Amino acid sequence: MTDAHPEQTAPVGADVPLISNQNVMMNISLIKEYHENWTKAQTQAFVSAGLERLGLSHIANRRNPALTAEERFCAMLLRAAMIRNALIVIDRPFQIFPHLQDATFLLGALDGISDLFMRCFILDYCWMKDKYGALCR
Amino acid sequence: MHGLESTGKVIISVVDNLHDTLIFSGKVVRRLLHPAAYNRATRNVLVNQIYFTSVQILPVFLALSVVFASLLVGIVFQSLKTLGLAEYFGHVLMGLIVTELSPLLTVLLITLRSSSAINAEIAVMKSNRELTALEMFRIDLVDYLVVPRIINGMLSMVLLSSLFSIVLMASGLLLSALIFDMSVDVYTNILLNSTSFSAIFIALVKCAVYGFFVTLIPIRFGLRATRELTSIPITVSRGMVNVFAAILIIEVLSLLTRLF
Amino acid sequence: MPISREFKVGLFVACTAAIIAVSLAALAMGKGLFETVHTFTLSSKSGDGFTEGMPVVFSGFNIGVVHGLELSDEGLVLIRIRIPHRHVKWIRSGSSFVLYRPLIGAARIVVNTDNLSSPALSENVIPEVTVVNDINDAIARIEPMLDRLTKIADNVERLTRTLADPRGDLHKTLGHAEKITSNLAGKKSVLEMAVSDEESIHAVHEALRKLDDIMARLDGLLAKTDAQLYNPEGALPQVNAILKDVLQKLQKLDKTIDNINRISADTSEGMKDFRILRSDIDDAVAAIDNLVQKLDGVVGSKKMPELKTP
Repeated sequence: MTDAHPEQTAPVGADVPLISNQNVMMNISLIKEYHENWTKAQTQAFVSAGLERLGLSHIANRRNPALTAEERFCAMLLRAAMIRNALIVIDRPFQIFPHLQDATFLLGALDGISDLFMRCFILDYCWMKDKYGALCR
Repeated sequence: MHGLESTGKVIISVVDNLHDTLIFSGKVVRRLLHPAAYNRATRNVLVNQIYFTSVQILPVFLALSVVFASLLVGIVFQSLKTLGLAEYFGHVLMGLIVTELSPLLTVLLITLRSSSAINAEIAVMKSNRELTALEMFRIDLVDYLVVPRIINGMLSMVLLSSLFSIVLMASGLLLSALIFDMSVDVYTNILLNSTSFSAIFIALVKCAVYGFFVTLIPIRFGLRATRELTSIPITVSRGMVNVFAAILIIEVLSLLTRLF
Repeated sequence: MPISREFKVGLFVACTAAIIAVSLAALAMGKGLFETVHTFTLSSKSGDGFTEGMPVVFSGFNIGVVHGLELSDEGLVLIRIRIPHRHVKWIRSGSSFVLYRPLIGAARIVVNTDNLSSPALSENVIPEVTVVNDINDAIARIEPMLDRLTKIADNVERLTRTLADPRGDLHKTLGHAEKITSNLAGKKSVLEMAVSDEESIHAVHEALRKLDDIMARLDGLLAKTDAQLYNPEGALPQVNAILKDVLQKLQKLDKTIDNINRISADTSEGMKDFRILRSDIDDAVAAIDNLVQKLDGVVGSKKMPELKTP
């Protein structure tokens, strides 16, 4: 994935929602179609593979309101990963899934698609560092 | 004093509104002419928009066209016969019904179905910060949201209005045989004599202009929505009022172009 | 296999565009857009009523259009008309061209061709266009009507002015009518209203009464006259009797005259009885005179019954 292109910021956060009148597939495909002019078939295959790696193939045709917090986060993460040479910035992830006690799910999701982005930054309040465990030490 | 102040405020508001709409129109036209605007995502949105605006409503539209066309043509032909003006029915059919009423009825149907939907859709996206999300992913809102909708508006208007006109002329053929006892040859000849390419061209341009504004204005008013959900119905209401005002203005302007 | 959204949209756009294209192509062919066009030139002394794009009509069908207008060096207006090849057969050398300006509807050039077998009109020949103008005709017909209407309006205005005038005839008439009505209400006679002098009315009444008396007397007189004339002892039977007597006497006179003649004849024989005879004749004549006078009197009085009363 490394090439001559510089890293591009790819935000993930509660303030960067999915498009509500499009399903997950269309939301994620949009980035490749818009920036890299991929065909629908190409993007669908690529996105389907990414969802499968996250174990979320079943949410491809669902829209934002029909998703759980974890599914929503994964969809947002995958969308951000569609940016070429993505520098993923996750803004206060516990605003998206406030019911989770730690970042295990978050780290698992990042591990699942680690080859799709260059780097990842997680921004959160300092009093939340306990939730991130070993990541903050 | 208070009355004058209110009048002044209204006039300033109307002029500002018109000015903003024209500035936004200029920006959109520039993007329409820019090849970079037509990326795959825009094209996909365009297909979806045409599907929802034209293809999905086609059976209902054709049924309505047949009903409207039969009513219009029947009433007009019967009136002409009663008044002894049967010889002018070709001019009335082409000059009034096909080139004036057909685009007007089509634009009203499209406005009722699509313009309101577009206005609400954009307002909801604005309210949910979805537009901010698109901008954060460096997606140009005009390219992705406005251009395909505008093209769809213009294309759908031209295509549906033409279909409406064809249905009208077919109804005219049937009703002229029933009311005037007219043969197909005579009807065709009268239509040919009454039709001018300039009138058809003006009618098509008018349809395109209608399509442009009945999608541009709802988008512009949708973009005025705030984070508050209560702003959505307000923007939709204002947008629709402005759309109908625009339809009237375009109709008057088209009549003026025919006069000169 | 479900049909994709893209396919449906593509099908709709393609089909509708094809229908529009076919319609426009049919229209273009119908209007002769792809046909060879012949240009003819017509002339007119005035360019009034001619416009570019004006239709050229044959038997009620559009067969061409006015393409252009020019002014020639001679000051004539040259009208160029374009006729598609399929309609050029209606334009013959014997064709006449009329600018028809109807009262309602658009002006047009009407082509009249009596003989379709005459040779085709050469494009170099410039026939003249005659003008039939319904508008001017209508104006010419309407003008006298307008004059009359103006007069009527003047009269109405005058009448209205007179009617509105407090010293006008109507007010006077109304005043008189009011007076008559009040007089009628006062139970006076029409004669009294006409003369408006009570003494004269009494005189008229008196005269009428006297006239009645006169008429009664006249009736009595006439009755008496009838009685005197037509009674068995009246004048007329007497006259009849007298006449009969006269006739008898005349018969006797005839004899007497015969005697006189004889006497005259005898006179020559003897003149001594002449004077006696002469006096006898004089007596007889005097008697006749008396009789005649009586008769005249009686006959003259016969006219009286025929007198006509007033």
